[in-house]
Amino acid sequence: MKFFKMSPASKRQFARFKSIKRGYWSFVIFMSLILVSVFLELFISERALLVKYENKYYFPTYGHQIPGNVFGLDYEYETNYRELHEKFAGSSDNFVVLPLVPWGPLENDLEARYDQNSKRLYPPFAPEYARKHYLGTDSTGRDILARLFYGFRIAIAFSIFLLFINYFAGIMIGCFMGWLGGRTDLYMQRFIEVLSNIPFLYVVMIVASIVTPTFYSLGFIMAAFGWISMTWYMRTATYREKARDYILAARSIGATDFRIIFKHIIPNSLALILTFIPFSISEAIVSLTSLDFLGYGLPPPTPSWGGLLDEGVRTLSAYWILASVVTAMVIVLILVTFMGEAIREAFDPKRHTTYE
Amino acid sequence: MTEILRVENLIKYFPVHGGFWGREIGRVHAVNDVSFSLKSSETLGIVGESGCGKSTLGRTLLRLYEADSGKVYFKNQNLLDLSKRDLRQMRRDFQMIFQDPNESLNSRQTVESILSEPLEIHGVGDRQSRKEVVKSLLAKVGLPESAGIRYPHEFSGGQRQRIGIARAIALSPSLIVCDEPVSALDVSIQSQVLNLLLKLQSEMQLSYIFIAHNLAVVRHISDRVAVMYLGEIVEITDADSIYSQPLHPYTKALISAVPTPDPSHTTERIVLKGDVPSPFDPPFGCAFHPRCPHAVDQCKREKPVMRDFNGHQVACHLAETL
Repeated sequence: MKFFKMSPASKRQFARFKSIKRGYWSFVIFMSLILVSVFLELFISERALLVKYENKYYFPTYGHQIPGNVFGLDYEYETNYRELHEKFAGSSDNFVVLPLVPWGPLENDLEARYDQNSKRLYPPFAPEYARKHYLGTDSTGRDILARLFYGFRIAIAFSIFLLFINYFAGIMIGCFMGWLGGRTDLYMQRFIEVLSNIPFLYVVMIVASIVTPTFYSLGFIMAAFGWISMTWYMRTATYREKARDYILAARSIGATDFRIIFKHIIPNSLALILTFIPFSISEAIVSLTSLDFLGYGLPPPTPSWGGLLDEGVRTLSAYWILASVVTAMVIVLILVTFMGEAIREAFDPKRHTTYE
Repeated sequence: MTEILRVENLIKYFPVHGGFWGREIGRVHAVNDVSFSLKSSETLGIVGESGCGKSTLGRTLLRLYEADSGKVYFKNQNLLDLSKRDLRQMRRDFQMIFQDPNESLNSRQTVESILSEPLEIHGVGDRQSRKEVVKSLLAKVGLPESAGIRYPHEFSGGQRQRIGIARAIALSPSLIVCDEPVSALDVSIQSQVLNLLLKLQSEMQLSYIFIAHNLAVVRHISDRVAVMYLGEIVEITDADSIYSQPLHPYTKALISAVPTPDPSHTTERIVLKGDVPSPFDPPFGCAFHPRCPHAVDQCKREKPVMRDFNGHQVACHLAETL
């Protein structure tokens, strides 16, 4: 059964995309990363995946906190599953299954550690396998791997959110300009040129100094400037498509402007839109990271790559912080770039032109 | 036979912008004061060189381009007066077939969705009944039922034009403007498509306005023929007499250029001097006079009006003497 019917042009483009191995595998890896980050609590979390206690099973990952006294501990705040894990280690009846990394992104591991001279160590701690800090901790004892992944999740969610607003606004406004043409187009262009010359960073700084940015408010501020580039492409695409005979044919059978735009022009410009998506995502990740780095992004303690980068630069002696975040950024941006290249290659309008 | 279409003094010009401020510096008269009428179930062929305004005329008639002045009475209703909404309603009664079927079919739609689109727009039937209509349309134009799930690029040029024809007849219109429907096709396919058009005409009582530059094709299909030159109709009469006794010198030149399959047949080829004048700056008087072998002083001064000789209309000062 076919859920999704592709036009032969799209089929051909998809086959071509698949044949570009580098881009295809980048796509697969990137999509799995997104999938992992959606269910991140199953991999990286302070909560256990499964607890068996007195022949009852508990799944603490999602849902309400389970207080410690449920498991026979002497406190009523949330259970520390790592301690529970150790406590149950000897017993055969009760057990705790911890995620791969049993640390949450906001948890501070401040347990005292001593070096070989019995001198007390303070965070940042270097990577420790025994305590499962695979990439070490930052200067407040938070696990870096956890913060990297949770930061990635926020960055991706943010870029997808931004992508939707930008593309929706860009496509609508671009189509509108191209479809009406003439004076409307001319004045809108000049308006957009003025808007696009407002320095974006200053606006964000001003807004961030007045109100603390949240996920959505930051998204909307960035979208207020981000939709512009898409309008240019959509505007030209609309100009090109509307001059073609099939649009005239649609008009001659009585189609409304609305129908022509949504059923004919936008589907035929889809290839163009699609090629820009990966680059928009990487752009959004980079700008969110740089805003966080400058301190105008999402407020602490939100896990973010920009924050980690900032910390890594300030504490260079704890090289693992900077090394981890730089490696993560390089990997993600390379994946996105490879993916974007392959998509652009596969959807290249010059190759699959309908003009022939 | 009742009159289905009457065009009166139709004018369509395209403004030309230029200069530093992009002001209008002139106009191209693509359709210049054209009048004619069409009876139901009749085919009017429109011939002329490329650039003479044939296609513009067809598109202006259907208000795909907005006319600048004149009247187009379709079933006694002036189309140019209709509001956009009323016009959309009316469109089901007059349709268009385009020259290049590659361009006129949306490559991202299946044939079924192309053919059911006009039905959808005009709210004909429900989803299921539209499917049935699409099947019968495909059968009417001689395509297999399986064509519905396929995409335009999977068909040959002739088949694609059949899809274009099926779309045009989907709403059972009474008038179809055929804008060079066969000139993009192979010669071997042309006659099949023409015969299909003739078959549909007799089945559905269609009236055609058939735009072409190929005189042989026009003769095969038309009841009457109009000859256009520089946006104007210079001669209009029934198909036989335009070939047997053309009155306008331009028509004579066109007819003499038609190749005949008989090698022993020799006619004097009238070769026109010069090029078609620019429609941006048409000649004064008769538009044809700079190229006309018979031009006299009067042709340079006065624009000839359309005159009727027993139903054979011609716009030439010298029609009687030539």
